[in-house]
Amino acid sequence: MIGMKIKSAIPRPALSVSGIILACYVLAAVAAPLLAPQNPYDPLQIFGWEASSPPGSMGSGGYRYLLGTDGLGRDIASGILYGLRISLVVSLSGTIIAAVIGLSAGVAAAYFGKWVDIIIMRLVDLQLSLPTMLVALIAIVTLGPGIDRIILALIIVQWAVFARIARGVALSEAGKSYMDAASLLRLPSYRVIFRHLLPNSIAPAITLMPVEIGHAIALEATLSFLGLGVPIDKPSLGSMVASGFQYLLTGQYWISFFPGLALFGLIACINFVGEDVRRRLDPRGSSL
Amino acid sequence: MKLEADRPPLLEVRNLSVRYLAKGGPMTIVRDVSFDLRRGEILGIIGESGAGKSTLGNAIIGLLDPNFEPPEGEIRLNGKAVVNGREREALRGRKIASVFQDHTASLDPLMTVGSQLAETILATGRKASRKQAQALAIELMGRVGIQDPERRFISYPHQLSGGQRQRVVIAMALAGSPEIIVADEPTSALDTTIQMQILRLLRRLVDEEMVSIVLVTHDMGVISEIADRVLVMKDGQVVEEDTTSSVLETPKNSYTRSLLAAVPRLRISDARQAKHHEEHERAPILLVEGVSKAFSTSGMRFLGRRSEKFALQNVSLRLARGAVAGIVGESGSGKTTIGRIVAGLETANAGSIVLDRAKYDVSLRGSKNGLLGRVQMIFQDPASSLNPRMTISEALVESVRFGLKARSENKVPGVEAMMDRIGLSKNLLNRYPHQLSGGQKQRVCIARALLAGPGIVIADEPTSALDVSVQSEIIALLRECVMEQNLSMLFISHDLAVVQDICDFVYIMKDGRVEDSGPSRSIFAQSDNPYTHSLIEARPRRFIQ
Amino acid sequence: MTNVILGRFLQAFLLLLVMSLIGFIGIHSAGNPVYNIVNVETASAEDIREATIALGLDQPLWVQYVRFLENVGTGNFGTSYIYHLPAFGLLLSKLPATFELAFLAMLPAAPIGTGLGLLAGRHPGSILDGLILRSSVFALSIPSFWLSMMLILLGAIFTGWFPSGGRGETLSFLGQNWSFLTLDGLRHLALPVLALAIPNIALIARLARSGTVEVERLDFTRFCRAKGLSPSRILFRHTLPNISIPIVTIVGLQFGGMLAFAVVVESIFAWPGIGKLLIDSIQLLDRPVVMATLTFVSAVFVLLNALVDITYSILDPRVRVSV
Repeated sequence: MIGMKIKSAIPRPALSVSGIILACYVLAAVAAPLLAPQNPYDPLQIFGWEASSPPGSMGSGGYRYLLGTDGLGRDIASGILYGLRISLVVSLSGTIIAAVIGLSAGVAAAYFGKWVDIIIMRLVDLQLSLPTMLVALIAIVTLGPGIDRIILALIIVQWAVFARIARGVALSEAGKSYMDAASLLRLPSYRVIFRHLLPNSIAPAITLMPVEIGHAIALEATLSFLGLGVPIDKPSLGSMVASGFQYLLTGQYWISFFPGLALFGLIACINFVGEDVRRRLDPRGSSL
Repeated sequence: MKLEADRPPLLEVRNLSVRYLAKGGPMTIVRDVSFDLRRGEILGIIGESGAGKSTLGNAIIGLLDPNFEPPEGEIRLNGKAVVNGREREALRGRKIASVFQDHTASLDPLMTVGSQLAETILATGRKASRKQAQALAIELMGRVGIQDPERRFISYPHQLSGGQRQRVVIAMALAGSPEIIVADEPTSALDTTIQMQILRLLRRLVDEEMVSIVLVTHDMGVISEIADRVLVMKDGQVVEEDTTSSVLETPKNSYTRSLLAAVPRLRISDARQAKHHEEHERAPILLVEGVSKAFSTSGMRFLGRRSEKFALQNVSLRLARGAVAGIVGESGSGKTTIGRIVAGLETANAGSIVLDRAKYDVSLRGSKNGLLGRVQMIFQDPASSLNPRMTISEALVESVRFGLKARSENKVPGVEAMMDRIGLSKNLLNRYPHQLSGGQKQRVCIARALLAGPGIVIADEPTSALDVSVQSEIIALLRECVMEQNLSMLFISHDLAVVQDICDFVYIMKDGRVEDSGPSRSIFAQSDNPYTHSLIEARPRRFIQ
Repeated sequence: MTNVILGRFLQAFLLLLVMSLIGFIGIHSAGNPVYNIVNVETASAEDIREATIALGLDQPLWVQYVRFLENVGTGNFGTSYIYHLPAFGLLLSKLPATFELAFLAMLPAAPIGTGLGLLAGRHPGSILDGLILRSSVFALSIPSFWLSMMLILLGAIFTGWFPSGGRGETLSFLGQNWSFLTLDGLRHLALPVLALAIPNIALIARLARSGTVEVERLDFTRFCRAKGLSPSRILFRHTLPNISIPIVTIVGLQFGGMLAFAVVVESIFAWPGIGKLLIDSIQLLDRPVVMATLTFVSAVFVLLNALVDITYSILDPRVRVSV
């Protein structure tokens, strides 16, 4: 029985509820122009006199405002669908680019060692010793507003996490005998990195992806909420919640409530899916 | 003794079966096992990995993981059936205690060993004050042979040596004055000399303290040394049960016989010594001259305080062409370090290496001085010596493509011929390492080393991670490769018998120095070095010829 | 041990220096603050030039930075462009509000989170474990600004139990005004404290759970059971100390984080603390205040980090004795 490993006995469904909901979210975002009754970016489709209509009221456009309208008369349901696209595009591209950069930097630090390692890891340490919110604020204050800047800020915030994980894994892989065997064959660097080190260091970074995408969405929403994120004419979910804050105090809750709920649901689904992925890839962390 | 016969055996196990809840349905790990444990005896349970011996031990302690079904069958203690539940928990530590393999993991790293021991004394129901418990703890530490127990009482586990930690673990097992101790591989994580001390301690406890021991192990040597009776297990079943001497001398079951045959035996007397001595005189392919290496102690060196310890001190070795030289030593002796320096994987502070008449400065990195790539290694753990994301064929082809082939004297056979040579089916070529057994993986590693066409091969404990029966196969394969291909090999091991089995010449290392050396046939009989003798002393006597 | 502490503080100091540089450059490139203190429409070129000189903005960047460093050393961050008060004094006046908020949030969060984590980790895979784990994912998924707004919606607007913002009545103690000393102040604290505590409880619970699962899987807890210790003794005497290191870390860092960046919660609840001051100052390009806040926050954070590391070495004998 020594060293005997048997995976968790409890079977897991192939597709979880959160996975299905997440898929719906993505589909809805992709098909937003088809699903949404109103294009919230087109001023001609917005009727200013119908501002702050409660959910379910009939609009002049011949459709119901299922979730009401905001302070400018924009349909909240349509706004959520379009806002989802922004949230997803921003967070996905930010996280994926951060993962690629972080993974390369981490593996490079582990492989080359010496000053490459020192420079990269000092930078990582510096950044990880500060709260992400501080780093994001500094980045956004320095870079200025705009969707591309937000993505850049997300990359700056997130790359360090991936770099640290990748370096740790790559170092432990580099200590294994198969890497010694590779050195004994005097393989060229590119082969050691791309054939041996990288393929074996990638899994933990991938496990980290969903959680980090969740963080990215939350961070983008928070920055937008604080008015430091995406421009006001292209509202993301965060700025929609922010725009409803003043109405909340007078009881017009729907302007903030529904976009926030959509955001909450999205992040929760991603986190649950992430949890699932982690449990599948690392049976040790499961309910053994 | 008359009284003894009337009483029921201390522990009776009847038709015990244990099932594991695996993904594909329950798996039977222990199948219909029955045996008795008598008072004052050591019952050995031996088997290879997967035999179910540890599960059996855990079932007796009542500590099966939650994904095991409750065991079927009956366990009786002093004639009284042991039922699961609260009653069972009350037995733990008081009637049935245990000793685990990993002494480091068995102790709470954040609590002094004394407090842990005192806590155990109090928990196992002795009415004692804290002071009394402390005094008892110190007395117990003395009884299990810990020097200076008063001082050790306030030590944390990481401040003790492996042997001392295992003694503390044994003291804890004794704390509740149990009738039975279940010891699961109690010496497997220790060096051989320490191993023997712990075994003698266990024997003494049985003889003096009226405890009985269930000893679970994979090591026939351990069994032969202290067990009174043996249970041989295979695939969850008992295949043979008898007294230790009959099992060792007249095994009835074929599996037991194969287990015994696979145990390497140390030969102290052999007539062929002279011839091998001559072999060593032949032209050397490798000369290691005066290699020293300092380790700086780890931790933060802030105010320039820096203490130096030598990992290697003036080590010189010689390997004749076509011969096998062994390096034996316990952990920390530097045997692996010297191997890695010879392979060009590590640097040293001083010394040189002459390989194939070319001299290399070992203070330079192996990639700088040209040494790297001329030597191939076979590593201890086959599980980590193959890239998990490359198929066997990819790994072997890589070795051919990038190896020293062009410069080697012998023509290197193709990958398929090599698979044949090392006794593996060609069907395995497209498999990934995790689809192979440990022995198969180690064969692939041998093939990979040979395909690179190296000047010499270094085998670093190539059999330590394998089951005994597989060990002997790998040794046989290595020996054949040496013979047929006129290969020269450095063989690093902690096991004297294995080294003697395959090597022509042996170096014995201790604390970074070569302590003793000589032809393998004669050194163990003729050496007058006290350390060599202590190593021989630590061998199970029954496996010395 | 002394080496560890000294080394840790040297490292902290270097870190601060680097951060002040980054922060200084960051804020400098964010826009010309002159336009914030002069009226853009009516000011003449002369007015702007005078304002620039008055603010020291005509000097080269490195001179401005050195001057800034000198000032930091003496606690002088300049005068706020907006409030016309010393920036550091302004910051200090906001500190008690933030401190009491962060402290009152962590006070229940640490024990509740640890307790829930231990409870869940004791029996991984049980229904209770699943419940705690799932709730924690939900709690960590709620965007903090939305959580705060929903708390206002429920606790203030629909029920009217609590006020929706502000500090309420305060009482002077140790020369500072505190809300927690009055009933009205406590009512004002309730919602923002809850908004900060909920995600922290979830975070600590998850950490404590995974730590417990990890430790209970180790041989020594199994050995503790084998030698006959009671489950509660194992839990409190062995598991808890062994999981305390990551928990101390997260509590320390989260506390620092809240002290520094309860930005969102403070803005929503109109809580006059440091976070709100920072956001307002960033939006108004009030550079001295932003710099003072960032420097202070960084210092607090770096010091907390160092303290946490030192606590490590006290909690863990492997570090304590070997160095």
